[in-house]
Amino acid sequence: MNRARIVALLCLAACGHGLTPPKPLEHIALPAGSQLDPYDASHPGEARPLYTALVGTVVYASLGNLNPNTFIPAGPGFLAGIDPISGKVDLINLGGADRHQCVNPGVIRQDAQKIYVACGGDFSGTVAGGQAVVEVDLTSRALTRAAAAPEGVVPSGVAVTARKIWFGDSVTPQLLSVDRATFTLADGAGAGQPAIALPCPTTGKFPFVPYVGIVAGDLYALCATTEAGVLARFDAQTGAPKGSVAVGAQPTQFAATGDGRIAVVNSNDNTLTLVTPGTTLSAQLALTFKSPTATLQDVKARNRFVFTVASGSNTVQKIDLSAPGGPKVVAEANTGLNSNPFNLEPLDDDTVVVVNWATSDVVAPKLTTVQ
Amino acid sequence: MPCFSAALRPSIAVARTAALALAFAPSRARAQDQPPRTEPVEIVVTGSRGSTRAPAAQSTVVEADQFAGEVRSVAEMLSASPGVSVHALGGPGQATTLSLRGASADQSLILLDGIPLHGPGGGAVDLATLPAALLDRMVISRGVLGAQFGAGALGGVVELVPARPRADRARGEARLVAGSFGTLGANGSAAFGGAGESSGLFAVQLDRTNGAFPYEQQLTPEVGGSPYYEFTRENADAWRGATLLRGSTPIAGDAELDVLFQGSLGERGIPGPATSPTPRSREVDRSGVLGARLRTPAGPALLSARAWGDLSWIGLRGVSAAGADCTDGDPDCPRSRQSTGAVRGEVEVESPIGDAHRVRASVAGGVDRTSGDATGFHRRNVFAAALSDDFRIGRLALFPAVRADAVGSDFGVSPAIAATLRPWNAPVELRAGAGLSFRSPSFSELYVRQGGLAPNPDLAPERARSVDAGVTFRGRQLTLSAGAFASWYHDLIVYELFPPAAVKPFNVGAARIVGIELQAVAALPLGLTAELAYTALEATNTRPGTLEGHSLPYRPPHRLFVRVAHHSDRFESFAEANATASMPRNQFDTAFLPAQLLVNAGAGTRIAGSLWIDVEAKNLLDDRTMQDLFQYPLPGLSVAAIARMRL
Repeated sequence: MNRARIVALLCLAACGHGLTPPKPLEHIALPAGSQLDPYDASHPGEARPLYTALVGTVVYASLGNLNPNTFIPAGPGFLAGIDPISGKVDLINLGGADRHQCVNPGVIRQDAQKIYVACGGDFSGTVAGGQAVVEVDLTSRALTRAAAAPEGVVPSGVAVTARKIWFGDSVTPQLLSVDRATFTLADGAGAGQPAIALPCPTTGKFPFVPYVGIVAGDLYALCATTEAGVLARFDAQTGAPKGSVAVGAQPTQFAATGDGRIAVVNSNDNTLTLVTPGTTLSAQLALTFKSPTATLQDVKARNRFVFTVASGSNTVQKIDLSAPGGPKVVAEANTGLNSNPFNLEPLDDDTVVVVNWATSDVVAPKLTTVQ
Repeated sequence: MPCFSAALRPSIAVARTAALALAFAPSRARAQDQPPRTEPVEIVVTGSRGSTRAPAAQSTVVEADQFAGEVRSVAEMLSASPGVSVHALGGPGQATTLSLRGASADQSLILLDGIPLHGPGGGAVDLATLPAALLDRMVISRGVLGAQFGAGALGGVVELVPARPRADRARGEARLVAGSFGTLGANGSAAFGGAGESSGLFAVQLDRTNGAFPYEQQLTPEVGGSPYYEFTRENADAWRGATLLRGSTPIAGDAELDVLFQGSLGERGIPGPATSPTPRSREVDRSGVLGARLRTPAGPALLSARAWGDLSWIGLRGVSAAGADCTDGDPDCPRSRQSTGAVRGEVEVESPIGDAHRVRASVAGGVDRTSGDATGFHRRNVFAAALSDDFRIGRLALFPAVRADAVGSDFGVSPAIAATLRPWNAPVELRAGAGLSFRSPSFSELYVRQGGLAPNPDLAPERARSVDAGVTFRGRQLTLSAGAFASWYHDLIVYELFPPAAVKPFNVGAARIVGIELQAVAALPLGLTAELAYTALEATNTRPGTLEGHSLPYRPPHRLFVRVAHHSDRFESFAEANATASMPRNQFDTAFLPAQLLVNAGAGTRIAGSLWIDVEAKNLLDDRTMQDLFQYPLPGLSVAAIARMRL
């Protein structure tokens, strides 16, 4: 090794192997309601971010477009592409030609240059339509296809396979699918193609599907009641059941962890459940949150950590799954009074970007580390 | 109630049976009028000052005038009783509800001079809207008491007895209060007449607070040892005015007519939980109760006819349809109103039958109504017929009672029986009781449609049954009372998620609540009186399924109240502690409200004539981290000065 190379290596070591990566902005305001194609220009809504997906360095978030007082949709749903470094926000209108194809967008999933969105419609029934699964092309930054949900179905959760887009139902515990080629209903299209019934808890009332996703090639779906929850596994192509396991009360979201397990957050009992896939599914209580009103909404995984969002206490947590003695909160951040954080994306092991439902903004709070 | 000497009389006491009481009822005088006594005190049964409708129920009498030198809300005075748990949405003037024996606030009746009060939509009564200074005493009777008080009395009943003119009472009183957080208060009364002649009383109470108290909370609660940050409560101001008019006059023969009116109006900010404050939300309320009663003897019987009506009105401003706060006056932030009222007519006959029985029979009927943006207009007819007996055989007294209530389309029969026994000559009394009753759904539960709340007009009544037993020792210096109870609840109305985005009430809950209640009142040397009230509670969810076996939230498993007070002709003082064990905050036993210890103390002196000046401090430990329901902070240390005098 010649002297010049040694000097270069020493310099690299001293400089930390390169430039310090840029930090995300602490606060990014989402666009005002007047930019969200309001149905009535004199009564614009507000951007209410819900679910997120990280695509490269851009955080995509579904935006409800709601009257701030009545929470009735004031315009079509939007998808926001947020650059957390520059603060630039690109909006994609999901309303389509009639401005009602997607109302109240929820869970979003990215697959290559496409993002698929489950749209729940207006829960109050004031605004017609808007219950659908829609496809967005990230290259053209436009809504490309939409499949309306059958009557009475409120799409929730979306999972993408090569041939199908699966989605759940917020009213009935069932899975439906859209054929990815034709973008027409497949499972759940009719009597000949029934929806896939979910195994659900036997306790509590009104079971529903809050979330679905693909983990290791299998389709997983949550069924929730106020008292309990089930994580069920299916063949991702046929929808054939492949077992289920009980999790906590009213689970909201799950994520595949770095060690091959599935982390589930449960909003009613403030717990984190870890599910181990195998021939059968097994579950263990991993953590009970201290805050009495944690109201867990989101979990994302990165390496040996999972990151959670507790909307009731306005906080986000970093949890070390490999900590001695079991999973442990190792860092936490507050997103601000009244912020109601809903989803996050970890940019690295120590940096998260959080969307706040109530304050209509995006923040990168500093995580306070446990001493 | 054990009656101590005036100087030693406690502020709370254990109520006793009327059957035993009548013969021993003493004349009472205000503590501050009498010199201290040094001789041993005689504890005398005075059940006539307890509940007349439920003479054998386990009950506690809270004498309001014992707190004349203190700043006490109705809720604070009630919290000195065993079996009572009070929950407040913040500091002074903020909404406060009551739980008796672990029952919900909806499952306990609050009566003003025998008239049931209603909260907005017919539900729980907000104790903060009740003027404490206009009360003479409060009688807390515990247990399923539908047979004695009517449908809805599943946890028990609080009878608020308004001030009345007395022959021994001065004709005017005035009281001024000034304290922390901009708290100011004034109340006064004027009375005329006395026993055997026309009499009247007019009383008024005014209170206000800016409510801006400091509190502390952790911003990162999952991180062990994370710091507490100080905040100042915003939009927690409140003001209230209340008045009481009461008069009675003899009419033909021995008949007597008495009339009562109590009105209250107020406004307050609704500050919201600590994590989600609502700085723009306001609430205004008005309420009134008007009643007239004619009582006349008819031979050995006593005949009573009564008519009354009540109306409560509440208005919300800056509260969005979804329950969040908004700017009052915005097009999408309309004001909402809700009113609830009732009218009743009641006839009651009470008569001895032979030497052993005293029978009481009553019929009542009327209409309940509600009107408002959230519920629309609804009314329902109500009818009740009740029969009870006080039956004595030697040392045994039996109190059977039965009542039939028709509330709209709901009909139920509430039977109960209680017994007392004095087995020895010693001052020991044993008692036991059992009851069965129901609660009809409130108008809110049936019809409210607002934001995420969905109505369920098909709701059925909640049902409960209970048994209890106890023993009381009444010595010259000490009264001890110990009791145990068990209650079973079925068809409880529980709000469930109603997909995709609403909650709706259903008859799906079941619970078992067992508990122990202890109370002691002792006359100590140096003119001191000591009181102790302890409650152990095990409230278990028995709804089949995941929740079965878990604790019901917001029911403290242990609560201890201790108070030592001194009163003499020239000086008075008190110190008290209220300790509440950690309690679950959700249905899964995975979140808890920390244990709390509240210490209060005060002292005062008679400056001149009847003028007393007192100073008191609440939350002496200055714990600013305390919270109550739904993460509403409670105030830290506060001080107040009180001046009062006879006119």
